[in-house]
Amino acid sequence: MMKQFKSQLRGSNRLKEGDKRRVIDETQRRRRHRKIMELLESDNYQDDPHADLVMSKKVPKFEDNLEQRTTRTKKKERTAEYYQTKFRKNFQQLVDEDRIEADIAGRVSYVDVAAEESNLPPRHFCAVCGFFGHYSCVACGMRYCSIKCMETHMDTRCLKWTA
Amino acid sequence: MSHMDSSLSDEDLDEGQSEVKRIRYDSKIYNVSRRFEKHQRPRRTRLASRDSHSFHVKESNLQGLIFDNGAHTIKINYSFEEEPKIIPNCIMKAKSERKRLFIGSQIDECRDCSGLFYLIPSERGYITKWDVQKPIWDFVLSKNVCPVNNYPVIMTQPLFNFKSIQDCIDEIFFEEYEVSSMFRLNPTDLAVLQYHKEIGAKPPCIIVDSGYSFTHVIPYLEGKKYLKGVRRINVGGKLLTNHLKDIISYRQYHVMEETFVINQVKEDTCYVSQDFKSDLKAAELPPSKNHIIRNYVLPDFNNIRRGYIQDRDQKDEIAENCQILRLNNERFTVPEILFHPSDIGIKSIGIAEAVCKSIFSCPLSFQKDLAKNIVCIGGSTKFDGFRDRLFNEVRSMIPASWEVNVYQPSDPITYNWMGGKVLLKDPEFKSKLVTKQEYEECGMSAIQEKFNQWSIIDIEETVQSKPKIEPVSYIDHLKKYDVFGKGIVSEESSENNEKKNENPEESRKCEEEIDVSSKNDGEEKLNLTDDDKFKLP
Ligand SMILES: [Zn+2]
Ligand SMILES: [Zn+2]
Repeated sequence: MMKQFKSQLRGSNRLKEGDKRRVIDETQRRRRHRKIMELLESDNYQDDPHADLVMSKKVPKFEDNLEQRTTRTKKKERTAEYYQTKFRKNFQQLVDEDRIEADIAGRVSYVDVAAEESNLPPRHFCAVCGFFGHYSCVACGMRYCSIKCMETHMDTRCLKWTA
Repeated sequence: MSHMDSSLSDEDLDEGQSEVKRIRYDSKIYNVSRRFEKHQRPRRTRLASRDSHSFHVKESNLQGLIFDNGAHTIKINYSFEEEPKIIPNCIMKAKSERKRLFIGSQIDECRDCSGLFYLIPSERGYITKWDVQKPIWDFVLSKNVCPVNNYPVIMTQPLFNFKSIQDCIDEIFFEEYEVSSMFRLNPTDLAVLQYHKEIGAKPPCIIVDSGYSFTHVIPYLEGKKYLKGVRRINVGGKLLTNHLKDIISYRQYHVMEETFVINQVKEDTCYVSQDFKSDLKAAELPPSKNHIIRNYVLPDFNNIRRGYIQDRDQKDEIAENCQILRLNNERFTVPEILFHPSDIGIKSIGIAEAVCKSIFSCPLSFQKDLAKNIVCIGGSTKFDGFRDRLFNEVRSMIPASWEVNVYQPSDPITYNWMGGKVLLKDPEFKSKLVTKQEYEECGMSAIQEKFNQWSIIDIEETVQSKPKIEPVSYIDHLKKYDVFGKGIVSEESSENNEKKNENPEESRKCEEEIDVSSKNDGEEKLNLTDDDKFKLP
């Protein structure tokens, strides 16, 4: 019991120290969360390993290692870039167009079928170790479970995302 | 036997201890294989037996190329083949081989799959990068894989596939690949066909499709999608793998660049917990008492091409020189996101809640059957424990008197492709195919109408027509026989009808019916008291 109290004290000292750091407001926290969600959708976290080849025009071509397809009329073959240029649209554009179309046609759209928010209370996990985290970081709002994890959090991720 | 032996283990005899360890180890193997058995056994033997005496309609022997274009893998083959070829729907670049790209299954030729760089044609399941998708399709339809050879093509596309994406598909397939005829539909449409074929009946059902990009819950009534009941959760295999990469990188090794390897780690070690809180407690225990923890031997692409879970007691030789990943609560907190997206701050209901919401947003008369016919497909339903957890959670949210059934096909990844075979056997199907000529004459919009409307149920009419039939025939019946005399009862029943009918048009029709009957009988009946009614003959 005593031990726990001591460590809590130590923790609050640590928090005072933390006060000197920037505290992130709600808008920034939301932006940070959005950033994390975007990262969870990304295809790669590293740079293209062949990026340096682009300049030297040594980029391997798709056609190089493709067997001839059985197209009857050779002249109809088009490059992949042709389609990319003609139909280039990003995901958000596609969703917006769909919404407008759906409005006109009176149909259900892509955005309409997104599942609703849950009525169940959210559970909170320690951002460091993944077990239940009952305390939240004063600076950034992330959760932690113990003094040990709080310290790790402070030293690592706490303000990492706030650029 | 095991009881006696385990008491022996308290003695510090070397021999005795290793004996106990071996026994424990065996029992674990036993559990695993039993689970495996359970998983493999067809769960619907009762219904499968019905298969023989249904589907009397003469089957068509039309053959075609079935092309399930998933965002993660393409499942493709001719309908006369047993099963599809599974081809990664991406182009990969390896650090070690700078002179080439790996398209689709060419990745099997890549010696070192560490740090693979991915070109993926889809964003959130919808094709946006045509300069990536086109070469993959070229590969898939090339001579050595699956050339079209003039076969009709059945191709899948995600729900609400956007118009400009469909335009591009049409142009590529009809103009460049010159397919003679084509049909496009959602992968879940095919799953329903396969399910109906397997059980030999066509009940309403709910398809839970948890794939790479997202999870869809789609109710099918009378074989068609009921859009008001559809739910999409933006959690799929891609997000789970990326999340696993993130937490491993934070807690152990930097693996953010190792999508290929960590995806295998996910497939090999993750499971859906049946009791989340108690598993989390168990994972807090020290390694010696912790039954969750696993050591995973990472591939080095030299001696080990694919990673594996290390034997808990037999530290094998190769493993000594290898990197070992320790997995503990990650094993079940990652798939848990499917059931609780809010665990990582995604404001959405989980799969089980979505299934229940979907059931209850369907017309009442279908709800019981839907609960009885829940089908899980897609790679993210393959986690151990997925089916049981979904069943238990749905069970707890559905009235106790209703039967709940969650069916998981033995292969939830190729299930849709199998449904393509069923579609081709349908004698009506040939007329649904869009030919190259139609494409040229009618244009994209007209043919896309054909693809996108065929499997959607027209909600209001179908739902409301059910109560309509009964009251009308009842009134007719009474008028004909005049059982209770003077049609008072018909007025009473029409009152009930009005309560039943929420559709204003519907109740107006009923009112017209009443008008007819009240004209015949005069107005004084309206003033009758309950007692008076009772006295009537
Ligand atoms: Zn912690
Ligand atoms: Zn913080």
